[in-house]
Amino acid sequence: MSEPVLSVENLSLRYRVPGGAIAALRNVSIAVRQGEVLGIAGESGCGKSTLAAAMIDLVGTNAEVTSGVVRLNGRDILALSPVDRRRLRGREIAMVFQDPMTAFSPVLTVGAQLVDFQFNLDGLAGREKWRRARDMLARVGLSDPDHAMGRFPHELSGGMRQRAAIAAALLMRPSVLIADEPTTALDVTMEAQIVHLLRQLQADYRCAIVIVTHHLGVIAELCDRVAVMYAGEVVEEAPVDALFHDPRHPYTRALLACDPARIEAATGRLPAIGGRLPDLSSPPTGCSFADRCGIATDRCRAAPPPRVGLGPDRNALCHEVAP
Amino acid sequence: MTVLLSIRDLDVDLGRGGWFADAAPLNILSGVSLDLMPGETLGLVGESGSGKTTLARAVLGLQPVSGGRLWFDGAELTRPADFRAIRRRAALMFQDATASLSPRMTVGEAVTEPFAIHRIAVRNRHDKAAELLAEVGLPPEMAARYPHELSGGQARRVGVARALALKPALVIADEPTAGLDVSVQADILNLMADLKERHGLSYLIITHNLALVRHVADRIAVLYLGRLVETGPTRAIFADPRHPYTRSLIAAEPKPDPRKRRADLAIRGEIPSILRRPAGCEFHTRCPLAREICRVEPPALGDIGRGRSARCHFAETMTEGGRHELEHR
Amino acid sequence: MSSGSRFRVLRALLADPMGALGLGLVLLFVAMALFAPWVAPADPIRLNVVEKFQPPSLAHLAGTDQLGRDLLSRIIFGARTALSIALTSVGLAGLGGLILGMIAGFGPRWLDAVLVLMFDSMSSLPMIMFALAVITIVGPGTGTLILVVVLVSIPAYARLIRAQTLSLVGADFIVAERAMGASSARILFRHLLPNVIGPLVILLSMDVPVVIMLEAGLSYLNLGVRPPTPSWGNILYDGYTSIRSAPYMVLIAGLPLVLSALGFTFLGEGLRDALDPKLKRGEQ
Repeated sequence: MSEPVLSVENLSLRYRVPGGAIAALRNVSIAVRQGEVLGIAGESGCGKSTLAAAMIDLVGTNAEVTSGVVRLNGRDILALSPVDRRRLRGREIAMVFQDPMTAFSPVLTVGAQLVDFQFNLDGLAGREKWRRARDMLARVGLSDPDHAMGRFPHELSGGMRQRAAIAAALLMRPSVLIADEPTTALDVTMEAQIVHLLRQLQADYRCAIVIVTHHLGVIAELCDRVAVMYAGEVVEEAPVDALFHDPRHPYTRALLACDPARIEAATGRLPAIGGRLPDLSSPPTGCSFADRCGIATDRCRAAPPPRVGLGPDRNALCHEVAP
Repeated sequence: MTVLLSIRDLDVDLGRGGWFADAAPLNILSGVSLDLMPGETLGLVGESGSGKTTLARAVLGLQPVSGGRLWFDGAELTRPADFRAIRRRAALMFQDATASLSPRMTVGEAVTEPFAIHRIAVRNRHDKAAELLAEVGLPPEMAARYPHELSGGQARRVGVARALALKPALVIADEPTAGLDVSVQADILNLMADLKERHGLSYLIITHNLALVRHVADRIAVLYLGRLVETGPTRAIFADPRHPYTRSLIAAEPKPDPRKRRADLAIRGEIPSILRRPAGCEFHTRCPLAREICRVEPPALGDIGRGRSARCHFAETMTEGGRHELEHR
Repeated sequence: MSSGSRFRVLRALLADPMGALGLGLVLLFVAMALFAPWVAPADPIRLNVVEKFQPPSLAHLAGTDQLGRDLLSRIIFGARTALSIALTSVGLAGLGGLILGMIAGFGPRWLDAVLVLMFDSMSSLPMIMFALAVITIVGPGTGTLILVVVLVSIPAYARLIRAQTLSLVGADFIVAERAMGASSARILFRHLLPNVIGPLVILLSMDVPVVIMLEAGLSYLNLGVRPPTPSWGNILYDGYTSIRSAPYMVLIAGLPLVLSALGFTFLGEGLRDALDPKLKRGEQ
């Protein structure tokens, strides 16, 4: 099995807030290999967007990494100087956001910005950069790339903007592409097209892709491997087929059970997960999910759960899971 | 049984501003006719730009209409006073529940606001707020909170509580679960189902989320570019969609099962701009089955039996066998 | 519920050191103005030529001017002049701006167009030139000063309120009110007003020192408050004419101008943060 392109090892991160700190990531370890699509699934507040931001070193100024390393192509990026870290972004690792409007400046044309993103390619003539940008727009499925190059971001539809944002991210041929909720702001038909596009691009460029989403359908359509997060921890990691057909962690099971898209019969009533997320300013000593878990025992509330290996690429953070 | 809400040939045009009114008005909704029975849930499905939110607002008189007629509980709505009256009996739930609450009003004030608006005497506003909050499963302490202090699910519940305050007959819910996590989404849908049972409500649910309508709607109506393209009982439509757009929508939804991945693309292209409505059938630019006639002649919304209708030249032949023939001819 | 939220604003204001300082200074000047006859050690207009140009001493804490009048008393009574003109004119202008701005933002489009045209033509007049022109026609005096300030400041306030109103009219919570059947009056007074008034209060507070300065400036030019009524501008003018014999006069007349300007500005800045319900600084 090939070496991971990007790996996060025992990463803990907290946000300083007035009167304390919120443990947003706790001992997170995850890796993505070349040519692989890793999904990070979870509900709001689980830390998935923080993890994505930490991977590309774009966490806010009130965030503080308390332990762990983030390795990109073998280098510990947290140990690099700010200048060297900045150089990695865009070249070796790139990001696509939920709202494609924010990826572009509203006062410049898409073409001007796509040319500008190539400022690192010193040897290239302006005309050549324009051609590369145009070709990339064609590659991401804009039907009239020359026309799109001259448009301002607000003149493109949401779907076209997201395609252009993906083109911008891929321009420098990064080895890792991180996409944070790339389809959440889009309609079903656009969502399907972006999912389809990401799958094609991944096959062509063989870059590693990390998809962060709460949408289980997108995970199932797109990912090879999935990490399910809850309350700042990865509670289950599994190949995609195993995750959907043999989920082991009680949270994963509950999450799958209440997705209306997975329930065939029109029942009128849907299963829900009662309770709420634990307070992450003082995380519980035992399992974070214990209060909402149907099979929790006293042990779950008292002691932190072990990470149980369940075969290649599979593990779950649970007292009650048997290997 | 009287029809609760009846919409006939509703048109909504937006005049284009400016000093020179030579630009043709934008046609947002065109000839929409719908009926909603008491106790029924109707799902109104469409992409953004299909006009579904405009339709909801037009029903409450919040959006001027340029043609068509509306009846609520047997009475026709014509004058502004009629619309003010139906706002007591029909409530609107917003897609962004937090934004629909006044930022400087507490939750307690917000849920009892309908009584103040309609000058309905309430013996004790605190008790009334607590009662309404209890109905949606929120503790009475919540009444002192401000909207920005609520979670997405809590804000949604407050929105439901306010909608129910005057015991309406109809609740219009615009994307009732947008932006909610799946676990919370289930909570809200269950709550809405309970309340429907308890109070005999009718729902008009506006959404692009097909998984949602499949579970909650008795009937669905699909909008494309401001026109209805297919209506009928939910089960029948999901089992056997007759309009290619409905079919594409159902097929396009990402399936939460990696074994059911689609290799091909269910629907190409984007919804055209209403500034440039395609000639003929408006879906022909994206339709996998489009023929010559589709580019020229606009199809009518035709009755195809069993309470169903579809706006497609080939709706009748679009059964399992017929579809196969169409695709391979 | 609303009294609780009012205390919340006060608490948040006091929790901010600058806001508390601003509030303290403003209250000091207001108290000076209100209780001037009781706190002033002497009559501010009584002449005593024998005691002219006395530097600060125990008998005259701030010294005396060229006519032997007690300067501290003149400054205390000057606060009365300054604040009554500034607060009246800014208050009237604020009220006018609020009403016109809300009409423009909430009313029919044609009325909005007319009002905006009016605001634009008013604010294209340079303030000082306009003030001089009005004074020439009407004659100098307190009433003229207030009239000028009101006319010149209404457009800026009205435009702020109009922009705030316009951005809220389409907001979901206003549409929600309409959907529940609320009348226009209810939407205007119960929902729009509390949401647009915050930024106006801040702007008004920050404009008070501008008007105080304008009053002082015009009085300095003998176009504002007529002598012998004590005004900080008159005192400053007297100080300048006798800057060689009594240099302390200029400093003493300048001090209340600077302090009141700082006080109102800090109060405005403090209110900006305190009025935002999303910044709960006072409670954490």
